[in-house]
Amino acid sequence: MSDLYLVFKNLTRAKLRLFLTLFATFIAFMVYALLTAFQSFLNSGVDLAADDRLVVLNKINFTQPLPIAYVNRVRALENVIDVVHLNWFGGYYQDPQKMVVTMAVDPESFLRVFNEYVMPETEKAAWVKNRQGLIVGKKAAELYGWQVGDRIPLNSNIFSQTDGRTDWDFDIVSIYTGEDEQTDTTSLYFHYDYFNETQSFGRGMIGWMGVRTDDPGNNEKVISSIDSLFQNTQYETESMPEAVFNKAFIEQIGNIGLIISSVVLAAFFIILVIVGNSMVLAIRERTREIGVMKTLGFRSPRIFRMVLAESLLIALIGGLLGLAAARGIIYMLSQSSTPIPTLIIDQSIVLKAVGIMIVMGLVTGIIPAINALRLNIITSFSRT
Amino acid sequence: MSSLLSQMWTVIMMNLRSLPQRLWMSLAAVFAVSVVVAVLLSFLAMANGFEETLKGTGSENIAIASRVGSQSELNSTISRDNVNLLLGAPGIAKDANGDAIASAELYVIVDGIKRSSQTEVNIPMRGISPTGIELRENVEIVEGRMFESGRNEIIVGQGVTKEFQGFELGKRTRFGKSEWEVVGVFSTGGTAFESELWADAPTVQSQFNRGSTFQTMRIRLAKPGNVQPLIDFAAAEPRLQVDIETESDYFSSQGKALQGIVTLGWGLSIVMALGALAGALNTMYTSVAARSTEIATLRTLGFSSLSAFAGTLAESVVLSVIGGVVGSIAAYLLLDGVTASTLGGSFSQVVFNFRLSPELFKQGILLALLIGLVGGFFPAFRAARMPVLLAFRNAS
Repeated sequence: MSDLYLVFKNLTRAKLRLFLTLFATFIAFMVYALLTAFQSFLNSGVDLAADDRLVVLNKINFTQPLPIAYVNRVRALENVIDVVHLNWFGGYYQDPQKMVVTMAVDPESFLRVFNEYVMPETEKAAWVKNRQGLIVGKKAAELYGWQVGDRIPLNSNIFSQTDGRTDWDFDIVSIYTGEDEQTDTTSLYFHYDYFNETQSFGRGMIGWMGVRTDDPGNNEKVISSIDSLFQNTQYETESMPEAVFNKAFIEQIGNIGLIISSVVLAAFFIILVIVGNSMVLAIRERTREIGVMKTLGFRSPRIFRMVLAESLLIALIGGLLGLAAARGIIYMLSQSSTPIPTLIIDQSIVLKAVGIMIVMGLVTGIIPAINALRLNIITSFSRT
Repeated sequence: MSSLLSQMWTVIMMNLRSLPQRLWMSLAAVFAVSVVVAVLLSFLAMANGFEETLKGTGSENIAIASRVGSQSELNSTISRDNVNLLLGAPGIAKDANGDAIASAELYVIVDGIKRSSQTEVNIPMRGISPTGIELRENVEIVEGRMFESGRNEIIVGQGVTKEFQGFELGKRTRFGKSEWEVVGVFSTGGTAFESELWADAPTVQSQFNRGSTFQTMRIRLAKPGNVQPLIDFAAAEPRLQVDIETESDYFSSQGKALQGIVTLGWGLSIVMALGALAGALNTMYTSVAARSTEIATLRTLGFSSLSAFAGTLAESVVLSVIGGVVGSIAAYLLLDGVTASTLGGSFSQVVFNFRLSPELFKQGILLALLIGLVGGFFPAFRAARMPVLLAFRNAS
């Protein structure tokens, strides 16, 4: 009779209790996996930011504009490979409550600076040629049912055309995908020239610039040369690496990381207490049995290991089922046409989860295991 | 009937008095429920505090005019001509001189540093006039003085000084080529305006290249809530491209921005409540097993199975409700009144306080009660149906 067989028998003797403790563990790890995947999505803007890309903003705030003349002045700087300018359009499609991230850009330099967006070369060329051309991210296209070749109107909640209309017509020339699974594909990009010539106010101004440097090592140098170039002008700039900007942007919403880790911690605390308690109970019920085993010649360390194995198994089985369920939920969400971001439970989340399972298993098993280790044969029979 | 009730009462009290014998198991159930309730209440308190702040900001006496379709103050623009046209509209309250009481305002965003994260955040800066300040209720300068018109001076809301760096009294700060000085701190009784910087409207216009345009207009209504005359006037005047609504409607809809947090909070809490339910069931099944001799003895003495049922169910409910109360108190002590800020509808920070309310406590206790009832029902059923002989045999 192997030890594992004994452990298994012990586990399954109180089936209801086993089910309940497994279920509590299952829930905690499911919550953990889902929330951590969400957090990793939030951080993806930081993780996927290109090292050699800077953003140049108006120093007052990024909602304040910059003159378009700045683009060529930055482009002329040393160590700068390329510059693109972007304008926030404040776009929405039909429903004013549902914002669609829409930006007016210079297509040629956009494709050079933001090379993580994948689309066929022919479509790139078509976009550059078509002044009313619009490229649409895959997720956005799925959400609104758009196809290449569609002509759609987009409204702006900021700008209006010279004739007072707030909608612009576009030809969808490409549906782009991302280089990475987590690359954002919910955004739309169109020609700045089309926007600039038709809008009724604020012409010749841009929102911000994306700058590609020749080497991330030169970032600091480029940042200081850009910002000092425009110092003491009406439009001072503030430049920073893309990752820094993306991080600050997420932080504006609040300390989401703190919220997520508190909830995860709370979930683990609950199972720690529940599982720990039922382990103590399970071993106490077996006091007499352990006395018998010891009498039969089972060594104490062996019994110690068997108890720990039992709690470890509970944590691992419940936890792995929880991870699997989280994957299932994410898959179902991705199949539905809700604007929910692409969540990914990657290897690092799984590895961390398994680590936590092992710690949980050891922590919940250690007290009963020590009790069993120390158990004196005589007292084990006197206790009922 | 009365004997049945007294039987049940006896058993319930017996169960509760014997709780200390099952101390750790019972504490585990209490603890699990209290954590779940605390998690639920923290999400609800966040959304509730945010909504209360914005709801409290809007007034029924004031109408907001903004450009058609702009949806937020930030996106709106209103020309000087439109402002003058609107001043002639019906339904506006008049001052002693017979002039319409209204304030054309600007709303720009500047950078501040959030204290907790040390990152740059969007702070709203409002270009405002003395009339505009009078339109808001409860405005009070708590430190320093009011800004002077024509000068680059700012007064800051109390929420801003609490949450963000860079706008302390006396501090000079540069926006573009111009330098501004913080000359005062104001309070508005906890409304969203306390998250703003205020400065002289014409000065903001000139320093931020706004020419003669404004962004929104606030109008005191002749009759509270009655915006219809203004809406009709705007509809009949083709030169006016404005949406008009009461300020309280404007802020109520912005207050809904955190409704997603409520859904998320409930979703997470219900999932975690399932985990706590597993704990409660475990505890109660163990309790029934531990008391099997007792239950059998009572049954032999003639106590009904219903009393065994009631005893177990009551024990579970009491444990869960204690958990719910502990969780609520913990949430109250830790979170009520905690200041936080998030991005509001106008793409700028809104400072608010976590706020628990009796309604939220009720929801928390309700969740606890539900866990207790479900977690007690099945074990109670087992206790009620336990065959007397078997119970004695198991216990031996």
